[in-house]
Amino acid sequence: MTLGVATGAALSPAAERVRERLSASPVAGRSEVADLDLPTIEVAAEGWPALARFLRDDPGCRYDLFLDLCGVDNLRRPGKKTRFEAVVHLHSLSRNEHVRVRVLLADAEKPRLPSVCDVYPASNWFEREAYDLFGFDVTGHPNLHRILCHDAFVGHPLRKDYAPGQRWFYAEEDARMPEWSKNTDERAGHFETQTISIGPSHPATHGIIHLVARLDGEKIVRAETMIGYLHRCFEKMAETHHWNQIVPYTDRLNYVSAMLNGVGYVRTVEKMLGVEVPDRGRLVRTILSEFTRIMDHCVCIGANMVDIGALTNFIYLYQNRENIYDLLEACCGARLTVSYVRVGGLAVDVPDDFVPRCRALLDSIPGFLDDVEKLVTNNRIVRNRLSGTGIVTKEQAIAWGMTGPMLRASGVAYDVRRARPYDFYDKFDWDVPIAQDGDNFARYLVRLEEMRQSLKIIRQALEIFPAKGPVNSDDWRVVLPPKDAVYHDMESLIYHFKLTMEGIRVPAGERYEWIEGANGELGFYAVSDGRGGPYRLKVRPPCFPNMAAFEHIVVGGTVSDAIATLGTLNVIAGELDR
Amino acid sequence: MSGVIDVSRRVPDRLTLLQKLYLPEILRGMWVTLRHLVRNLTNMKGMPTIQYPDQKRNYSARFRGKHILKAREDGTLKCVACYMCQQACPAECITIVAGEHPKIAYEKYPVVFDIDMMRCVFCGFCVDACPKDAIWMTRNYEMAFFTREDAVFSIDRLRETKEEVAQHGYGYRPYYPGDGTTPPSDASLLPVLAGSGERDRLREQGIALADRGPGQGPLNAPSQAQKAFTA
Repeated sequence: MTLGVATGAALSPAAERVRERLSASPVAGRSEVADLDLPTIEVAAEGWPALARFLRDDPGCRYDLFLDLCGVDNLRRPGKKTRFEAVVHLHSLSRNEHVRVRVLLADAEKPRLPSVCDVYPASNWFEREAYDLFGFDVTGHPNLHRILCHDAFVGHPLRKDYAPGQRWFYAEEDARMPEWSKNTDERAGHFETQTISIGPSHPATHGIIHLVARLDGEKIVRAETMIGYLHRCFEKMAETHHWNQIVPYTDRLNYVSAMLNGVGYVRTVEKMLGVEVPDRGRLVRTILSEFTRIMDHCVCIGANMVDIGALTNFIYLYQNRENIYDLLEACCGARLTVSYVRVGGLAVDVPDDFVPRCRALLDSIPGFLDDVEKLVTNNRIVRNRLSGTGIVTKEQAIAWGMTGPMLRASGVAYDVRRARPYDFYDKFDWDVPIAQDGDNFARYLVRLEEMRQSLKIIRQALEIFPAKGPVNSDDWRVVLPPKDAVYHDMESLIYHFKLTMEGIRVPAGERYEWIEGANGELGFYAVSDGRGGPYRLKVRPPCFPNMAAFEHIVVGGTVSDAIATLGTLNVIAGELDR
Repeated sequence: MSGVIDVSRRVPDRLTLLQKLYLPEILRGMWVTLRHLVRNLTNMKGMPTIQYPDQKRNYSARFRGKHILKAREDGTLKCVACYMCQQACPAECITIVAGEHPKIAYEKYPVVFDIDMMRCVFCGFCVDACPKDAIWMTRNYEMAFFTREDAVFSIDRLRETKEEVAQHGYGYRPYYPGDGTTPPSDASLLPVLAGSGERDRLREQGIALADRGPGQGPLNAPSQAQKAFTA
């Protein structure tokens, strides 16, 4: 669909509303509204800060949750207005709506993007990422440094004229420390402050994360997180592969809940294609996704408890994970990196004993959760370590763009499964757990309850699970034909050949689809130019904004509080660094 | 659909004196762990841990382990070097070099078929991509090597052997016993060969077209398996 407001083309009610509101905005007349999968506002870079403020504050807009900012390079997409654009996704919690803003950046060599950090604090790291991967000159940004690529990196990898095979070596002397950390003569009272590095390789950092902290005694007075140690540029690799070939790569985003990433990704492609997956296939995805969510929360709580010295819980929680892995392995042949979903369905139908196996799991998991609850919830040490530490208020959580258990533990009942039900979530009876305190203990409670709600969802999904039926769409332009047909039927072989060699032909266009990942809103923004693979694929990792807030949350607490907080943030480096 | 529950209301804000005293809570916690200990001691077989490597984990028939190349009855590889698995591989770990097979019915065969096990992510896409039922996976997951060169498995290490299958068993494959799939017959030719004038060209070159699998009809007649499928 072309952008054209002046022509008065018929828009969907949502887009029409956005257009109406915009007439009162400071960029009225300088912005356009298009009706894509989401209402899309197009604005030139100069008008972006004013528009951002308007979208956040206007009572008819109230887009308060900053979800994502990503660059797109239109070098190989003819007919676009500018070479570079920044695509922003926002959500309004009160009106439960998403909106997309496309910021057009004029200069083709050094595109200037005004920072909106003062409007949306969550945009801080996203803007740094756009600077790093696209070379956007983010004017007014407080800390414009590379974030995912290392400091000896040359060029901007997601530009279309950047050749993907290049290697840049990183030596110790290239390591960047924050400017403020070099200045050592700061004094507080009679103590000299000192700066320490926690990580990059530290058992408490759950993956490789570098926290530079300035300590006054044992209190953290300033901190900065350095990430990117696990960066492999998933998004560039996606551009050089076919749509289906990206599924194994998504497993490695949040490797603790690999199934959820795959489901989120293929849903995006299926929506672009308009392919419907049969009920049975969608229910298998739902059931395994919920089991995966339980697994993710088990790892989060278990590891968090280990960090604060309660080892036994880890064993009990990991037993659940082990049992769920057994189920996943029986379905798809791998435990961790499942690669089970495909665009249009699943790799292979579930085994015959799928339902009894799920029921056995449903019986065994609550016992372990009860044990953990007995050991932890009223334990005085745990309470002392978790209650009142790592506090995130409701306002802060929204401003920092948090989603998932982090946001819900601060008292906002935003769950994608409820806010925009996909698959069968609107048919099930379940509750969204929230807590009010916003501290580490609240996050523990929310996760624990979420596991019980997931069990409830699975139980209902098994009730309506069809005993027989296809799991894949029957569209052979998307799904590989059955093997029997490939072996003996010429036409099927041709479909098989075309799909394998050329990939799925996804119609040109763009789409943002989001699901509730284990850590929050997991979104995939895909741009297709009609080839067999994506032109641009952006993943909105839920723990990225959470981690961006970490350096603010820990200030004022002790180092040991920071460790407990890092645990409840549930940062997974594979997803954070991509 | 249902509502929202506030979990912070569920647990008391403050601990009771008994909980604050700590000792009763320790005992309560120890009771939980003791129960697990007794349960494990009385039921050693049900214990979740296994004594690897003495004891091996029992994986499902879909396990994605080391690949094997399937062979025809006469011992030649079923692979026709069509490059589909190489193309489908998301990790780009398969290298194929094709050669012309002396037996006309087989047409092409892989002179080189290498899988770099260090790159392989064991996703099973190669098995899905194969149109000739030539590549399967086993349940063999123990592939340690000392050098990078060792990690590149060539045909001699990929060819299916009875010992390997007996020891580990088949894993992920295109079809499973009982799901009604008929594998392609050994000597079935791609039907495209029949109508393309290829036969005449070959005959002009003096190549004997009779050299096909035993019991096969003329080139353009459907194979037994094809008949079974269309019936």
